[in-house]
Amino acid sequence: MYRIESITSKANYKVKRRSVGIFLKNFKAEIEPFLYLLPAASIFIAFTFYPFFKTIYISLFITDPQGGLSKFIGLKNYFDLLTSSDFLNSLYVTFKFVLLTVPFSIVISLVLAIFANLNIRGKSIFRTFYALPISISSASAAVIWTLLFNPSIGFVNYLLGLFGVPPIGWLTDVKWGIVAVSIVTIWLNIGMNFIFLLGGLQNIPKDLYESAQIDGANVFLQHIKITIPMLSPTLFFVTVVDVINAFQQFGVINIMTQGGPVDSTNVIVYSIYRDAFFNFRFGVASAESIILFVILLILTVLQFKTGERKVFYR
Amino acid sequence: MNFKRFLSLVVVLTLLIAAVGCSKGQGGSATASTSQYSSSNSSQNKVIEITFWHAMGGNLGAALNKMVENFNKTHPNIKVIAQFQGNYDEELNKLRTSQQSKSGPDIVQVYDIGTRFMVDSGWAVPVQKFIDEEKYDISQLEPNLLAYYTVDNKLYSMPFNSSTPILYYNKTAFKEAGLDPNSPPKNFEEVEQYSKKLLKKDASGKVTQYGYSMAIYGWFFEQFMAKQGALYANNGNGRDARATAVVFNDEAGLNIVNWWKKLVDEGVAGNFGRNYDDTLNAFTAGRTAMFIASTASLKQVLDGVGNKFEVGTGFLPALNNNKEGGVIVGGASLWILNTRSEEYQKAAWEFIKYMVSPEQQLFWHQNTGYFPVTKAVYDMPEMKTHLEKYPQFKTAIEQLHSTPINRATQGALIGVFPEARQTVEKAIEKVLQNQATPKEALDEAVKSINKAIENYNQTVSK
Repeated sequence: MYRIESITSKANYKVKRRSVGIFLKNFKAEIEPFLYLLPAASIFIAFTFYPFFKTIYISLFITDPQGGLSKFIGLKNYFDLLTSSDFLNSLYVTFKFVLLTVPFSIVISLVLAIFANLNIRGKSIFRTFYALPISISSASAAVIWTLLFNPSIGFVNYLLGLFGVPPIGWLTDVKWGIVAVSIVTIWLNIGMNFIFLLGGLQNIPKDLYESAQIDGANVFLQHIKITIPMLSPTLFFVTVVDVINAFQQFGVINIMTQGGPVDSTNVIVYSIYRDAFFNFRFGVASAESIILFVILLILTVLQFKTGERKVFYR
Repeated sequence: MNFKRFLSLVVVLTLLIAAVGCSKGQGGSATASTSQYSSSNSSQNKVIEITFWHAMGGNLGAALNKMVENFNKTHPNIKVIAQFQGNYDEELNKLRTSQQSKSGPDIVQVYDIGTRFMVDSGWAVPVQKFIDEEKYDISQLEPNLLAYYTVDNKLYSMPFNSSTPILYYNKTAFKEAGLDPNSPPKNFEEVEQYSKKLLKKDASGKVTQYGYSMAIYGWFFEQFMAKQGALYANNGNGRDARATAVVFNDEAGLNIVNWWKKLVDEGVAGNFGRNYDDTLNAFTAGRTAMFIASTASLKQVLDGVGNKFEVGTGFLPALNNNKEGGVIVGGASLWILNTRSEEYQKAAWEFIKYMVSPEQQLFWHQNTGYFPVTKAVYDMPEMKTHLEKYPQFKTAIEQLHSTPINRATQGALIGVFPEARQTVEKAIEKVLQNQATPKEALDEAVKSINKAIENYNQTVSK
């Protein structure tokens, strides 16, 4: 999105400077690039920009139950949201969810990737296993895990019971709902992260490790001093993607907890869905999604500003 | 090398199977819609095709499809295409979206609490129109149902699958605990006493069988309000005039939440969360000896329990001595939409008449547990033998017939009922999790729902 805009504005600038005669003469050079851009641009306009501006527009209205605009109320939806304890709770839950899922997803998949990158027997089997969650849709995964977490016949509690752990209300207890949802999300994230990180690991030249070994560095030190810095572009990418995904997690929550118990898993995306397609207040829902957009924008800019400095590009 | 090849083949196969498994549901509906087009080209003499959206999954859906199949066989000029659209909420959601381009179905099954919204939407042709035109006899229909679905003196939709909540209990566990297996608790004092006797713990103190349980389901709250003869919303539950506020944060509402909390706090009642089926499964797995559920779940419960223990059913336990109280009919009704010409609407009406005919209602009742919408069923010999064989089915019918019809038992009409129910569930959860006192939670819920009602009324008032 960003890239296309910058290209078009540059081209625009050039077009304005030229006179009409040269403009015609240089048709191929000046107009042709636009034609190449046209397909992508029209898709973006139809499916990204138009809905985006329309969302901003709708967020200034009260809507009727059929979804039609009913009354212009200016920024009232935004003020109502920012003073509503439910929405602030959603913000809190969302950040908690991001903090619970992103670090664990990355650390676990990094460890798995390092193991799967070792030269051991049957490593391709491990690689297949670890990448497997990718092939499972989040909806199916959520259904399976809901069964595993079932309060009366769930396997997880049964397993924990063997170790003497008292039964946990995974999906019914305010304290555990978010943990249960996070576990499933982490599990789902691992597949994709694993593949990216493994790819990154295989790009690290072996001679770096060999010279480190000669210098007497142990395995742990090798990973801290070589693997992490060399992998930092991939790690950075995975972090950004995971954070955005976490902010947009919907499927698992919709199936497992419906935002409950007591809104403890009611992340912003879920509350947008509720307001739009269940309570049919499209105005409020639009305002919520604009707020979510602003938050994501700020976070991504921050990540690029701070995170990228630490990234080591070869 | 060969091993590696074999391995990759296995992996690819597993993934393919997984992919096919995942897309099975969609595949089913895709074939349904293609058959719709292909059959419209067939050269039979004028067959009117109507689409029917419903929200009946599992064993309910199987029974429904059988009925549609029978209709199509016996009515060569009409072809009904039944399409499962997910649960009631999802279905209504799809309806709203498709109606924006006037491309909805001809008949749609909408749940009880969607009634006010459907009337306001202007999409429906009241079935009263066809009843009047044809002088169709509705005297055989259950009066409680007519009372619920009549709005502004018009029957808007035809009740089809109707249910009330009943108490299910484990007769075998009752015997073990020294209780009379033929007398289920009648009120909450008894529920408490019985639950204490039924509670079982293992050596480590872990509860293996709770006495009582009910899902955190807003419908039960509404039912317990009616059972106490109390109103849920103002203006006579929205039946004298459009409701402008909900009023359940009174003594009756607090009574429900206090009892609920007391039983959970004492550890005799299990809390299996909001998911209705989780509590049902807890019962069939023997984890709770009593629970509240819709009569429509009776077949599912009986099938789930099998021979493990004996299942008994009883009336919804009372919270006070109000004789004016009773249960509200739940379930759903069939709506004819004005999306297409009168020809299609007439065909839809034919289908609806078929679905509420005594034979079909008998079949529906036997296979689900929804009680028959027409009293004519009780005169049928098959019904008599059925009730002798499965006396549990009688409870819902007796409970319905012993319910007086008044504003409280007619049930509330609110445009934002789905949201209200959700808000009540949150309030109950808050109380059970000790995050708020019953009074605080209900007050907050009322405030939030009233705001939604105000908003809704503003946008629909003409």
